[in-house]
Amino acid sequence: MNPRAARALTALYPRAWRQRYRQEFEAFLEAHPSSLEGIANVAAWAIHERFRSLGDIPMDARQNSLTFTTFAGLAAFAAGVNFYWTVDDTPLALAMHGHGALLASWRLVQAGALALAAAAMLSSRMFVPMAREAFATRRRGVILLLAIPFCAAAALLVWLASASILIHSHWVPTPWDVAGDWAAPANWPPLAARWILGSISFAGMMGGLLATAISIRQAVARSELSRHGRSSFSAASVLLAGSVAAMTAGVISWGWFVQRYAPADFHVRNGGLLGSTNFASWAATLLVLLAAVAMAIQSFRSALSVRTEEPRA
Amino acid sequence: MKRSTRYVDEARELGRYSDPPLLVLASLADGPKHGHAMIEDIFRMSGTRLGPGTLYGAIARLEREKLIEALPPDERRQPYRLTPQGLRVLRARISTLDHFARAGLRKLEAR
Repeated sequence: MNPRAARALTALYPRAWRQRYRQEFEAFLEAHPSSLEGIANVAAWAIHERFRSLGDIPMDARQNSLTFTTFAGLAAFAAGVNFYWTVDDTPLALAMHGHGALLASWRLVQAGALALAAAAMLSSRMFVPMAREAFATRRRGVILLLAIPFCAAAALLVWLASASILIHSHWVPTPWDVAGDWAAPANWPPLAARWILGSISFAGMMGGLLATAISIRQAVARSELSRHGRSSFSAASVLLAGSVAAMTAGVISWGWFVQRYAPADFHVRNGGLLGSTNFASWAATLLVLLAAVAMAIQSFRSALSVRTEEPRA
Repeated sequence: MKRSTRYVDEARELGRYSDPPLLVLASLADGPKHGHAMIEDIFRMSGTRLGPGTLYGAIARLEREKLIEALPPDERRQPYRLTPQGLRVLRARISTLDHFARAGLRKLEAR
């Protein structure tokens, strides 16, 4: 492998790992024959090391609380998007108009999503000064980390738009329209093409979420949050926990009522994530929301352990 | 007695994190080696060719667990050797595998 490729691959690893192994690993890669399999192997292990290294970053209660708030918010956002696209434009959406209880459950999820947006706004009061301070002190590392979520979202939007334009279709390649149990509009691409494009979008979404979670955690760990008092963190985490709990309750009751009123539509493959049944997609939403609830509770617990004599001057 | 139980527990813990760390430990059993020598030795021993990321994932983990340690570098190559703890863990793990293999063979012969 040429030295430039070896350096690029080694750069995928977290800083602490590079400090210890950079020299020998680059030498090892340079002596190693270059292959796609080898590159994929290194990339996969670099991601593994990045995840593992998250646990190595020492963080105080404020940083922990904000990190868990972010993680819970991202998980709830992903679950909400999945739930919306599972139901949108399917017979399930029509079924809601005929059954008040089903519609009320849907409205509860919507209310929870609005509260989630409010919690995100509340948390942004901590992220904005963090970004401002990073710019003022020219901490390029933190600025780059904070830019990653925006870059990931932009890259995903560019992919969705360009794929839609290139295939000359009114279909946007989301992972929710790739099932074959229903007749797709005539101007959509064939099922196999939708599957491939939808899978790429899904991988992009998951990659973007993971990159966002990792970068936010690292940016938070490198930032000073002591200017914010305990109430800032506890308010954000309580609002977040309430919003996620409302979404979870809405999703559970929606599942209960849809099983009762429209079971055939609930178990058909016409809208679920990557061609799954609507039921499987609903279950995935619920699992992610439950994980978000757990993270929101952890965020609140961390907020409670912020020392009361702070914030420091 | 307590000590040996601890090493058996350590060996069980090792068994939970896939085989590459065990292969690296086994490769270092006959003396220090650097990355390339380990890969070739492991291939000869087991028929498994570890990828570069897998090998260094195993090395990093074993070094964190203090089961192997780095020796002074040989130019840009970095040799490693087993620590006394690594040797005990390897012995316990190999003994467990040996016991398992013998029991399995006995069962097969009894068929």
